[in-house]
Amino acid sequence: MGELPALSTAGTVGEKKGEAPKAPPPASRKTLVDWLGVLPFFLFATMFLFIPSFSIFIRSFEKLGGGFTFDNIIALFTKSDIVNAYKTSLTISGVTALLGGVFGFLMAYAIVMGGLPTRIREFTLSFSGVASNFAGVPLAFAFIATMGNAGLITRTIETWFDLDLRQAGFSIYNSLGLSIVYLYFQFPLMILIMAPALAGLRREWREACENLGGSGGTYWRRIAFPILMPTLLGTMVLLFGNAFGAYATAYAFSGSFINLVSILVGAQIQGDVLYNPGLGNALALGMMAIMATAMVIYLYLQRIASRWVR
Amino acid sequence: MKKKRAPVWVWLIFLLGMAYFFIPLLSTFEFSLRMIKGTYSFEAYRVAFSDPAFYKNFGYSLLWAMLTIIISSIMVVWTAYWVQLRLRRIRPVVEFVTLMPFVVPAVVLTFGLVRMYGRPPLLLTPTPIPLIAGYVVLSFPYMYRAVDAGLRSIDIHTLTEAAQSLGASWGTILFRVIFPNLRGAILSGVFLTFAIVMGEFTFASLLYWPAFGPYIEEIGSMRAYTPQALSLVSFLLTFLSISAIQWFGRGSREQQAQVAGAH
Amino acid sequence: MAFLEIQHASKLFAETAAVQDFDLAIERGELVSFLGPSGCGKTTTLRMVAGFEQPTTGRIELDGVDITNMPPSKRNVGMVFQAYALFPNMTVGDNVGFGLRVNKRPKEEIDQRVQEMLSLIKMPELGKRYPYQLSGGQQQRVALARALAIKPQVLLLDEPLSALDAKIRVELRYEIRRIQQELGITTIYVTHDQEEALALSDRVVVMSAGHMEQVGKPWEIYNYPTTEFVAGFVGTLNQLRSRVVNAQVGELDYHGQRFKVSGELPAGETVIAMLRPEQLRMGVHPGENQLTGKLISLAFLGAIVRMGVELGEAVVTLDALNERRLALPKVGEPLTISFPPHAAWVMPVD
Repeated sequence: MGELPALSTAGTVGEKKGEAPKAPPPASRKTLVDWLGVLPFFLFATMFLFIPSFSIFIRSFEKLGGGFTFDNIIALFTKSDIVNAYKTSLTISGVTALLGGVFGFLMAYAIVMGGLPTRIREFTLSFSGVASNFAGVPLAFAFIATMGNAGLITRTIETWFDLDLRQAGFSIYNSLGLSIVYLYFQFPLMILIMAPALAGLRREWREACENLGGSGGTYWRRIAFPILMPTLLGTMVLLFGNAFGAYATAYAFSGSFINLVSILVGAQIQGDVLYNPGLGNALALGMMAIMATAMVIYLYLQRIASRWVR
Repeated sequence: MKKKRAPVWVWLIFLLGMAYFFIPLLSTFEFSLRMIKGTYSFEAYRVAFSDPAFYKNFGYSLLWAMLTIIISSIMVVWTAYWVQLRLRRIRPVVEFVTLMPFVVPAVVLTFGLVRMYGRPPLLLTPTPIPLIAGYVVLSFPYMYRAVDAGLRSIDIHTLTEAAQSLGASWGTILFRVIFPNLRGAILSGVFLTFAIVMGEFTFASLLYWPAFGPYIEEIGSMRAYTPQALSLVSFLLTFLSISAIQWFGRGSREQQAQVAGAH
Repeated sequence: MAFLEIQHASKLFAETAAVQDFDLAIERGELVSFLGPSGCGKTTTLRMVAGFEQPTTGRIELDGVDITNMPPSKRNVGMVFQAYALFPNMTVGDNVGFGLRVNKRPKEEIDQRVQEMLSLIKMPELGKRYPYQLSGGQQQRVALARALAIKPQVLLLDEPLSALDAKIRVELRYEIRRIQQELGITTIYVTHDQEEALALSDRVVVMSAGHMEQVGKPWEIYNYPTTEFVAGFVGTLNQLRSRVVNAQVGELDYHGQRFKVSGELPAGETVIAMLRPEQLRMGVHPGENQLTGKLISLAFLGAIVRMGVELGEAVVTLDALNERRLALPKVGEPLTISFPPHAAWVMPVD
């Protein structure tokens, strides 16, 4: 391995500082070099991902004046405004994941198997790529222009039906309105993932089913749907997490009108609104726990799906 | 093969989807034209583009995006390459790390960064390091997935050995053999990162750095119409970035899928 | 009345004819192969029997019943696809029992039949496995068991071995033949592999460009091809474009070298003489025809030695059986080859 001057130098530096955390104990020179190659990445991840996350974890168990306590974790399940924030966040994420999932699936079916022209399919997929990445502040303003007080749809409804929605007490700056906004990036993501999955259904499966005496219904009920199920559920879990972690869109859309966990965490950063740093940490920890659960479920379902369909 | 015609319900679903896609964009455009009462005009755009703060914030976002892209692409490409070449067994670990932004949403990561590096012993918040670091972390899933897919489609072992046998140094191997072969994959990661950073709000606003996202939000609380004009600009940026990916990449579409909480 | 009759079936896709006037009667228990290059219409014909394609004209009768327009699910015809057609979400046992479950058979009957089928394919222990846990060869066995579980009247195999490794392919080929004969099931076997078709069929249908070229027993197809296509597609063939010297005695001239063939000569001044590589021998053998050329290639393949001899404008392929004391000629040197007059047959030009 004589041709590795740069890396061997890096090696000596690393050794002096004693920063080779992942290196196996009796490392031969080659394995040491191997591990040094990934050191920058893991160092970066440790510093800017793991340590901050871990500090949240530790500080969730910190008493107001210092010392260990479970109170913050308990407060997550008992303090009403926190419980409400979680409820709202979970509801919006669940609803948009379900609706986005179902509608995205139907769209994917329409463009892949519905018999629409190929160009429509290409276009929809391309645009879904854009829409699923169009989020945050600009998306919020787009929807304010659409269904806000002076939005196009609002005005259209008002002229058509001759009513004043605002006076009728109608507002979109609530969970429902936010869900409609979230759906803008939720269902295209579903399309992006479901379209290849649907295209991956083999013609032979349908024909084998027919050949063995099954109808079209049998095929969907017993073969196509079960095969798609892990991808379908997995993607919905992904959508759930996608909405649950969202902060920018919600903040720009409704300020802090809607009591979401992410909004609460944001407020906690700007100023200790809970008057309890430990509780703020616990709040963030709760988010991570929910996201981690979603991730585990997603990875598990994805593994099943990739095993079945190669 | 038989070509079946689309049934009515398929068209209905499709049109509903198109309505969802385009009505908000159309409304935003219409809204942005209504700055002068009683007539349509591009006044909102003129106002927006004559604000020096727009250029300042936009410029900052460009700067953040460039820094993020440089750090992220070099780190991810190198790591993915090295892991594929020498440490295949830790690939799941690296993959796990790159998926972490899903588990730690932007707002939570910001919270952690502020709490950790907002005070001594390691005071970093006066510098843009936490901001860039956050963006780099955010870009991990896209960058890694794109690059990893690219690496798997070429035989890097053979390419590396071939280059070594011809006397190439590591720099030469990386910059003249591996990078060019991964061009499409890297570019798709780069453009996606660009699209995300340019409109990003959470990190920049909570870490108090000037950027395009917070700027739109800020003028949104001061006046109407111009934020919509700027939102369309932002949409255009996303659109162009994704189109660029499709143009250069033409690879798997899944790479574009949004995984983490940049929303 | 044969068991399965395909009567003058044709299939048009858009304007092009995928199958033209396919006419064949298959007896009960017979295994017939459809052999031909890709795009010759063999699979389309098979799919018409399965019901996945409707013939544009013609009809198909199974055991006296017209099934031309019957939907696939009603035909009771078992099909094995090229590859990976097992349902990935079901275990091996569930795959095999699928047809019976769809037909709402009682559970005990299904379980019993599944076990029976798994024993038949010699995988009695693997009922709980999933397809992704099986090798390609095992998957195709299961596909065969699944098709047979419904006790079909006809078994259709669409290039069932083409996605497998060469060794497994040969192994499974005989396995399919064994099972087919054990059950006495009428079978159509589509393949582009001539060796496969010759090895396991009762009869072979050679197809090209949508029509039948020749129908016959494997040895008939090989030794007595009736068309130039069949002669060229099945096995390796040397073609010598020769001038007729004496039609009465069958004497021909090839680039100044004379040789005789038995049998009648077609009319015309020029004919094509056909010779199989394994019927040619090195050296001079009395009483046989001799041609001399230059040896330009030599490949030792184990059981046989394949040689290329430049002769006029053609390179003639010669297969010699290996012997331990075989003296191999040198490449670049002249070589004389011999063959008896009855080894060659003659076809008209064009």
